[in-house]
Amino acid sequence: MTVVRRSGVLILAAATGAVLLAALGGEALTGGDPVRTATTSWAGPAPGLPLGADGLGRDVLARVLAGGRDLTLISLAAAGTATLLGVAGGLWTGWSRGRSARAVAASADLLLALPLLLVALLAVVAVPGPAAVIVGTVLGGTPLTLRVVADATAGAGRTGYVEAALSRGERAPAVLLREVLPAHAALVGADFGQRLVLAVQLTAALNVLGFGPPPPAPDWAAMLRENLQGLGLNPAAAIAPALALTVLSGAVAALSHALSSRGGGS
Amino acid sequence: MSPGERGLTVRGLTVADSTGTAIVDGLDLRIAPGEVVALVGPSGAGKTTVLRAVLGALQEGLSRTAGRVEWHGSPVRAPRRWRRRNVGFLGQDPASALHPLLDARAAVEEALPGAARRAGAAERALAGVGLDPADIGRRRPHQLSGGQAQRVALARALAANPELLVLDEPTSALDGAALDLALELVRRRRGDGRSLTLLVSHDMGVVSELADHVVRLGVRPRDRQDRGRNGATGRRPGGAPVPVARARDAGRPPNIDSAPPPEEPGVVRPSGAALAVRGLAVAQPPGGAPLLAGVDLHLAPGGSVAVLGPSGCGKSTLLRALAGLHPVESGNVTVLGEALPWAVAERDPAALRALALVGQDPLDALNPARRVATAVARPLRTLRGLTRSAARAEALRLLAAVGLEPGLGRRYPGALSGGQRRRVALARALAGGPALLLADEITAALDPRTADLILDLIDGLRRDTGLAVLMVTHDTAVAARADRVLHIAGRRPHPTSFRDDERRRSVDAP
Repeated sequence: MTVVRRSGVLILAAATGAVLLAALGGEALTGGDPVRTATTSWAGPAPGLPLGADGLGRDVLARVLAGGRDLTLISLAAAGTATLLGVAGGLWTGWSRGRSARAVAASADLLLALPLLLVALLAVVAVPGPAAVIVGTVLGGTPLTLRVVADATAGAGRTGYVEAALSRGERAPAVLLREVLPAHAALVGADFGQRLVLAVQLTAALNVLGFGPPPPAPDWAAMLRENLQGLGLNPAAAIAPALALTVLSGAVAALSHALSSRGGGS
Repeated sequence: MSPGERGLTVRGLTVADSTGTAIVDGLDLRIAPGEVVALVGPSGAGKTTVLRAVLGALQEGLSRTAGRVEWHGSPVRAPRRWRRRNVGFLGQDPASALHPLLDARAAVEEALPGAARRAGAAERALAGVGLDPADIGRRRPHQLSGGQAQRVALARALAANPELLVLDEPTSALDGAALDLALELVRRRRGDGRSLTLLVSHDMGVVSELADHVVRLGVRPRDRQDRGRNGATGRRPGGAPVPVARARDAGRPPNIDSAPPPEEPGVVRPSGAALAVRGLAVAQPPGGAPLLAGVDLHLAPGGSVAVLGPSGCGKSTLLRALAGLHPVESGNVTVLGEALPWAVAERDPAALRALALVGQDPLDALNPARRVATAVARPLRTLRGLTRSAARAEALRLLAAVGLEPGLGRRYPGALSGGQRRRVALARALAGGPALLLADEITAALDPRTADLILDLIDGLRRDTGLAVLMVTHDTAVAARADRVLHIAGRRPHPTSFRDDERRRSVDAP
């Protein structure tokens, strides 16, 4: 059973990687031009246009394949920043019992009380869309990562392997990076998945509200909004980008879940 | 065997790891009601794996590939529910198994069925293993000593009077008085026509005292080769050395250690005593009630001192304080003639190299994310400055010296048994080439043969390199090899008479 679970994680990781790759490089898979008007408005699926056309007669398949790249890149950058800050802060606050570490941990907890969407909306007024996603994910996600990593670090501080490292004179940064972090790598990986899902949702939400790339650039969230009006004429035009968003979030979330249940066992 | 027979029957049990290598191969086991069956075998033979397979709770990476487990004649279908109703389990590392947020009383109460929770059943269970419910009952696992935690876990396993009791090394951290209590509790189950007990122990005294049948686990062919090689190269000193200083120490009144003991002839001394401690006071918890006070210790290079005492008296804390890992209230320490700061973070590299601690809990002694050989190679690189390849070769040599085959070096700690982990931790401690080894129950999870190998190795190092050893133990065989035996009573260690018979008595009746 455990063997099944381990290979399950590998399969999930491969599948998630494939989904991310497709989202990033999907444009290369098709010869279609995502911004050229190919046929009439809301034309249904036809030979050469498997998913039909949108309100301006553009190829929906080409737009779906091209519409995930920016969204995924922004989400990866945002989740990466949030996890990096959270892990660094968590290692520090979990290890040091000093006053400043406690103050950082307390203010991170305070940040959690802020409504995330409101913060993101305020940020998007002040800075461009991608930066707003990063700000939102960091404000909403970093405190969670920090808490989890700080707890794990504090627990690891009492283990024999950390004490052995201290006893051979390793300094705190070496202990944290060589001993504590590797021991909790699965936890951090799972946490990164959670932050990525949050970032994808935030990017999609802001893009639906119109803060995404300006038209005619393809984008899943913007397509969802534009093509809802044609749902009766060509349902595929709205369903395909929605499905793409779901598969991306779902794959990352499933991998994250598998990683976290594995990390608990070791 | 008729299918309707009562008791536990295991037939042809085979457990394999993820590569398909059999860890346990075709084991048959039968426990009738009222019987106690002991499982014995060398370290790494798969004893704990058998217990977990019988309980249907194998650890990650292992799976049961053949065989069946029958309870009262029918196969166990829902192991979780079966365990909940019928089984009491005491694992190998009780301190790690107890929930960190539950105090001892709550931990025992949790194991009781709902109806029995009131009426002080948990308190009675704690008192039954010799722990004061009013004091120990309110402590959480990190405030318990190794032996106390083991007894809490035993009380927990016994609380609901389970039909099947499974004990994995239940006595490894117990002193004599606590051991007698624990043995009595298990003995009561014998012959009552209902209770079954499955026991893993390295202590032949415990096994012969309790068991109706003994099942000996075979050595896998791979290990057998390995043992043959170790047997050929292992050191075989002719018994424990008998330095002259011993007789004088025994006659000296406790703690009036004003003059260092006379030099031992034939031992090259680096400079001064390996360890000298004056007026050490330690509190548990730090800043709270004193656990040890006015401790004076003196240890010559090549010397060996065993520390005994009832569980919870501060043996492990003494070692941790010397290693700089437990805050010290007062006192001072010199190692090889150099005064040392207490906190490990303030010690200079030479002092760090001079001292090495092997802790009591083998479960978290090794980083789960580091391969065994990497863990042992690290101190070789940081403390002895070896190159990567030299450190690797030396790490494999050290692993072989503690009786572990080279193939184990590539494994992660999760794939090692408790005894193997303890030996890796010892190899890692010896890697820095220490002048003083602080060893906390290093033979607790080892079979007698492996324990002898380890103790021979340490005795060899004492002779050849002047390694001084301060070891905490409850094992008379280990204590018998020491130059001096100290017994902790009334917050400080007292020298115990060196004569063998008296030492035995002091161990058995603290």
